[in-house]
Amino acid sequence: MTAADRSPEPPDLADLDYAEADERTLRLLPTLRDLGLVSLVSVPIQAIATELSVLSIVVGLLVLYGMCVIGLLLTKHVPLRLPSVAWISLVAIALTLPMLPWSGAVLPLVEGIDFLALAVPPLAYAGFAISGMEMAVMRRSGWKLLIVAIFVFAGTYIGSAVIAELTLRLTGARL
Amino acid sequence: METARGLLRLWPLHLAVLVIGVVSQVIGVRAIPIGFGTILLLPMLFAFAIALLLNPNVIGAMRRIVPARLAAAASPLIVIAIMPFIARFGADIGPGIELVIRSGPALVLQEIGNLGTILLAFPLAVWVLRMGRESIGAVHSIAREPNIAIVADRYGLRSAEGTGVLGVYVMGTLFGTFIFAIIASVLSTAGLFSIEALAMACGVGSGSMMAACSGALAAGAPEASETITALAGSSNLVTYATGMYVSLFVALPLVEWMYRRSRPDDPGNARISLFGRPRSEEAAS
Repeated sequence: MTAADRSPEPPDLADLDYAEADERTLRLLPTLRDLGLVSLVSVPIQAIATELSVLSIVVGLLVLYGMCVIGLLLTKHVPLRLPSVAWISLVAIALTLPMLPWSGAVLPLVEGIDFLALAVPPLAYAGFAISGMEMAVMRRSGWKLLIVAIFVFAGTYIGSAVIAELTLRLTGARL
Repeated sequence: METARGLLRLWPLHLAVLVIGVVSQVIGVRAIPIGFGTILLLPMLFAFAIALLLNPNVIGAMRRIVPARLAAAASPLIVIAIMPFIARFGADIGPGIELVIRSGPALVLQEIGNLGTILLAFPLAVWVLRMGRESIGAVHSIAREPNIAIVADRYGLRSAEGTGVLGVYVMGTLFGTFIFAIIASVLSTAGLFSIEALAMACGVGSGSMMAACSGALAAGAPEASETITALAGSSNLVTYATGMYVSLFVALPLVEWMYRRSRPDDPGNARISLFGRPRSEEAAS
């Protein structure tokens, strides 16, 4: 791509919503309300995806909700800068470690919740969230960057899989 | 964005997501055989595609039905909607902790595998497509938010390098879930790698990429579902902790160096020192 290929006026990138917000300033109450709403959206989707009763689904989603709340509180109050999803993940791990006494009580409640179906609402929101700015960047980038992007993703994935495979074989972790 | 009065004003958005979600889940997992493997299309991909088609920013005609305001309000909801999903993933890592610890070295080392993007994409960008310094931003990483921050800091987003990283970022936002689902399902049915290695590699990208990738693996091998989520989830966690440093200290300097070796005459090379801060102030954008 030469300079002439580039459009004379690049879109104002300040509007592009790429930046990681400092999640420590996250307002908790609206987040908890939205978290409740998106969990509610998940109830019928889980009812289709699983054999669980509506009550078990609601209980399972409530437990996941609780994990998210603890994770969000840790994000806000622990002076170690990790994204909220990392904290939530750590909370869920800590609550389900088999050697800890409470895992026997927590795990059966969430085990039945289908993880594939839980990914449906975020991707629907993501489809709605594509902005005019992002469409402008895509059009400006053109087909070359699309091909490069496919190679970037394939390269990252295959590179990681190759190293993981070799290490698993060498360390004998794969039996 | 409008979160204060959002509850009442955003109900059409939540309702639309609910309907799209139910429709997608009823469609279910669809398998497309392609000779050397199978592509698994998941409900989450249908949900993303349907929402894209309803998005007024993507399909202009939708402006009459869906106000652009709703699209803007959807953005902060993605990360919130993915939280229960991440928690569910964590609830598979806990019980699988022995497997995760046993796979510890592989989980850490496969972060270096992220450099595979340079191996595969750099030659394509520089020698086949004859791209300029955009290549540096484009191929150095999988271009998620932390990587953009790094490129913005070193080159500025209005630079050629910024154009490259933003381009791959947007392509990833639009097509990343599809690309990951396709690569993962093809590789798992082709039988070259173990399911454990493929699962770990699923953790390299964003939450939705991990979802699409491990979802495709799990749909193809339901009996290994908990192994897959435990390894993909812990790999994603390792990526949160280390990915930015691999990008900052290894990938970006490496690509910059490779580019200078292959295009010593590019006048843009002089604009920035190999390891240092940007020389011009436009980078502060």
